[in-house]
Amino acid sequence: MPTFVKLVVLILLSHLRQWPLRTLLTIVGVSLGVSASVAVRTANVDVLRSFEQAVLTVAGPTTWEVSGDETGLDERIVTSVRTVSGVMSASPVIFQTAVRMNGNQPGQAIQVLGLDLLDEFHTRGFDVNQPETENQLLSMVDPQAVFLGGALATEWQVSVGDHVDLLIGTGRLRCRVAGILRGKSDRSSSWDRMVLMDIAAAQISFGMVGKVDRLDIVTEKNLSVEEVGARIRAALPPHVTVERPANRTSQVELMVDAFRLNLTVLSWVGLLVGMFLIYNTMAFAVAQRRREIGIYRAIGMSQSRIAFLFLMEAGLYGFLGGVVGSAAGMGLAQELITLLSRTISDLYVPVGIGGSGLLWTGHFGGIVIEGIMIGCVVSMIGAIGPSLDASRTTTVRALAPGDYEASQQVRVGSLAVMGSALLVVSGFLSWPGPIGEVPILGYAATLCLLAGLACLAPICVIGRRRRYVRQEDGVHDVMRGIAVEHASRNPGRNGVTVSAFMVGLAIMIGVLVMVRSFRHTVEVWVTDTVLSDLVVAPSMWLRGTEIGTVGRSLPASWLAVLASDPDVAAVDSYRDVRIEIKGRRVAVVSRDLRLHAQWSRYLVRSGDSSELLNRAAEIGGVLVSEVLANKLGVEEGSTLEVMTPSGARRFPIVAVFYDYSTDGGKLLMDRALYQSLWHDDLVTVFPVYLRDGTNLDDVRARMTTLLSASANGALPPLVISNVELRKEILEIFDRTFLLTYVLEAIAVVIAMLGIVNTLITSVLERRREFSTLRAIGGSPTQIRQLVLWEAAYLGAIGIVLGLIGGGLLSLLLIKVINRQSFGWTIQMVVPTASLIQALLLAVVATLVAGYFPARWAARQPVIDGLREE
Amino acid sequence: MVTLRQLCKTYARGQAMVSALRDVNLEVQYGEFCAFVGPSGCGKSTLLNLVAGLDIPTSGEIVLDGRSTTNLTSYEWTKIRRETIGIVFQAFHLVHGLTAEENVALPLMLRGDDGRGVSKRVDEMLERVGMTHRRQHRPAELSGGEQQRIAIARALVHRPRLLLADEPTGNIDSHQGAEIMTLIRDLATSGGQTVLLVTHSALAAKTGDYTWTMRDGRLVSRTPREADLVASW
Repeated sequence: MPTFVKLVVLILLSHLRQWPLRTLLTIVGVSLGVSASVAVRTANVDVLRSFEQAVLTVAGPTTWEVSGDETGLDERIVTSVRTVSGVMSASPVIFQTAVRMNGNQPGQAIQVLGLDLLDEFHTRGFDVNQPETENQLLSMVDPQAVFLGGALATEWQVSVGDHVDLLIGTGRLRCRVAGILRGKSDRSSSWDRMVLMDIAAAQISFGMVGKVDRLDIVTEKNLSVEEVGARIRAALPPHVTVERPANRTSQVELMVDAFRLNLTVLSWVGLLVGMFLIYNTMAFAVAQRRREIGIYRAIGMSQSRIAFLFLMEAGLYGFLGGVVGSAAGMGLAQELITLLSRTISDLYVPVGIGGSGLLWTGHFGGIVIEGIMIGCVVSMIGAIGPSLDASRTTTVRALAPGDYEASQQVRVGSLAVMGSALLVVSGFLSWPGPIGEVPILGYAATLCLLAGLACLAPICVIGRRRRYVRQEDGVHDVMRGIAVEHASRNPGRNGVTVSAFMVGLAIMIGVLVMVRSFRHTVEVWVTDTVLSDLVVAPSMWLRGTEIGTVGRSLPASWLAVLASDPDVAAVDSYRDVRIEIKGRRVAVVSRDLRLHAQWSRYLVRSGDSSELLNRAAEIGGVLVSEVLANKLGVEEGSTLEVMTPSGARRFPIVAVFYDYSTDGGKLLMDRALYQSLWHDDLVTVFPVYLRDGTNLDDVRARMTTLLSASANGALPPLVISNVELRKEILEIFDRTFLLTYVLEAIAVVIAMLGIVNTLITSVLERRREFSTLRAIGGSPTQIRQLVLWEAAYLGAIGIVLGLIGGGLLSLLLIKVINRQSFGWTIQMVVPTASLIQALLLAVVATLVAGYFPARWAARQPVIDGLREE
Repeated sequence: MVTLRQLCKTYARGQAMVSALRDVNLEVQYGEFCAFVGPSGCGKSTLLNLVAGLDIPTSGEIVLDGRSTTNLTSYEWTKIRRETIGIVFQAFHLVHGLTAEENVALPLMLRGDDGRGVSKRVDEMLERVGMTHRRQHRPAELSGGEQQRIAIARALVHRPRLLLADEPTGNIDSHQGAEIMTLIRDLATSGGQTVLLVTHSALAAKTGDYTWTMRDGRLVSRTPREADLVASW
């Protein structure tokens, strides 16, 4: 080991031993920041990796996939594809979701794959465990036979020959387990959590006779895959999608990109606050060791080595924080994966929960290394300023007491100017639009805003000097005065503490205002647009995309059943399927527009809802959501070309409406028009309008009984009241933002550690002052008050700046980042009660952070403090 | 005013135990000015710290103003320091962030005295130590002698009956030292304070009514004041 490295290690270890508590606090702070970042990144990657794994495992040797929209493909298309030159095989696939109805995990959604088993039993990369008594051929074609994934069979405690009840669409299917599926490799595989059945049985069970979800194509090995793909495209109707299996993952990635990006950025807040903590620790270390620096310089250590010494110390904190943070992050990631999978399944596409096993398999080392890298880089960036300060300090200055802070004070003015300039820059950056649909400038504006306020913090810390002797002041005032005076004496270090707290708080307030405003907007939207008294929906409808497309549809024949009730005034048929428009996944919603115009409304951007709905029904026009209009650059009066199963159609856009149900955009058309183009008779939900004075519960009970009979023994459909539906929508909303609160809490905890850190520093530095006060008549309580006043002073400045920052940040989030990421218009509201709660939390956090150093200070032996030089 | 009975103080220094005071017995009457001299480490400052309640004796008893302090709580000691004791330190120990007048006012404010009464008393003390013109200055802007004057004013502002001075001239030059000693003597005499002075300086010790010499934690000899010594400084 080189001598200098030995020396560095020696010095670092002595410093760690000298300030164990501060070292611990700093490492905890860094590790919290690292853990949030590692957890979100790991969860983000894991969720998509599990989706990708599922896609690729099941795809097997498939080179191209042919799919239609949610209504499926006509199976006759298989014949057309098989005739294309270069196509070796084209296998029909049903890919749907079923829900387990009995046993130890009822209600669990599982993916069901329907394959032509006779043809594909040995080509897809799975093995089947079957007892010899089982006739493989018969079990393949038995309409009730299923092959159950190994992991599922273990979880459900079933074996070959047992029966399981599955809810498929609205029907119940009693299946016999004919074999247990295992992946061919030793690693856990998507086959472990899948149910496999023969395609014919799947078509019957899922009500898709004559239809398939997709065709999996294997091309000739000696031909170019792209070339054959082009031939397949040419042979098929234009509304059919031909894509590589891996492309599905990319599409999903694209879909959830904005959501993931916002989450990732939020997870960096902890790191940012951690950076302030490191700055603070290192600035103190430099101030504390100025004499030591002088000695090192005097005995021949170069400036760069002094800087290196402090950077290494920060790097060591980062390393230790990275190790601890990675471990904690992996624990946190387990929780986040469940939350994230649920949210993505709620809002976008069904994704399995943590299927990729990323955490505990070969990626463990990678995650730890990543965490350590993040910890080291963040810590060393945070330490650059203090390290440079240390290196630039001349020997004489280093040995002179009180010089370091004095040199920092000079910069307070220039920092304030820089801060003001950054605020102006932030304003300018918020004007332009997104770059490549990513609000890069919006994020830059946020960074400038927070950096600007952080630069203003030191000047805010320098309080106005008061005279105490000439005023009618009591004992508390003098304690407050000394506290303020001391805090003001260290604007550099205390400014950083205030900044860290301000950043944590500003983000908490900004996100709080944004989420509350968003919630308010959604509430208003739901109240104004969800007007039906009852909604009849598939039994698992509230589980979002998780239950698959068939699980989200009802037979059209129920319309007559519902309308026959004497208390029902009107029944609408609402159909919601996903299609692609210009490479975007868009919801096509069809309903009886005239009926809707009469009974309900859409929040249209301009004009009268009823009039516009009637007009759309009349001329065959469409209404598009604000998000879709923004993304496609269309508006009222323009036209939109959509590829339908009946070919490309151009629709006039009658209106643009506000919609918050999906960030992919929504297209609304009359049901008759939809049916004529998509040939789809199914219904997603039936909104039911009751006659005045009807008892809602009576009607609901009647409907449930009536429809249960129609459901053929399966789970009865949901009959939800208007109030329940609104509540459910808001619950999904709240669930979506739960993760946000977790990440915010981490940032605030790190900021609190910053305050504790600063106060411990302050208490350590002022032991003699406290002892003097005790010697001339100050009580332990007064010493405690003194430290608490200092905490309160720093906290108060942090809170005021945090409020200003939070207010401006909420504007940026609502008007710039959210609008550019998702395209939603959010009505800004100020959630006074929640803000007061947040502020109280901040005050309590400050005082809690101040309490322990205060208690410690009050308990120190007076005589030891007086002896300190 | 101050009675010490069999007072002992032992410190642990690593594995070893060090006796700072051994069986000290002492009686100081009201209004007396008692000086303690002796080499470094002989226990002078330890004695003062114990009398001030800043440290706890290992054994023995301290009686202040006729009251035994053996079982006093921390808060009771605080009250005694607020009412009865004033302390002057070698290193002044002024609060850096406060002005001279605020430092002087501190003991009064710490015990919760009214602002108007405080300012009147502070004016009076600043005038008596000759620092009225420097009242708005911070400690860093004052010379060592000036800081010690402020420290003396602070020690006497609440009219304590006992003044403890620990090497008050230790950090200042001899000329200013003589002035400080004269000031302490004059103020204590006019205020009727009992003074315990710890010093290395034989000349400073001669300001007292008598001088105790200490060695190895023990009081070894008492010397009465020689008349007119102060004048010979």
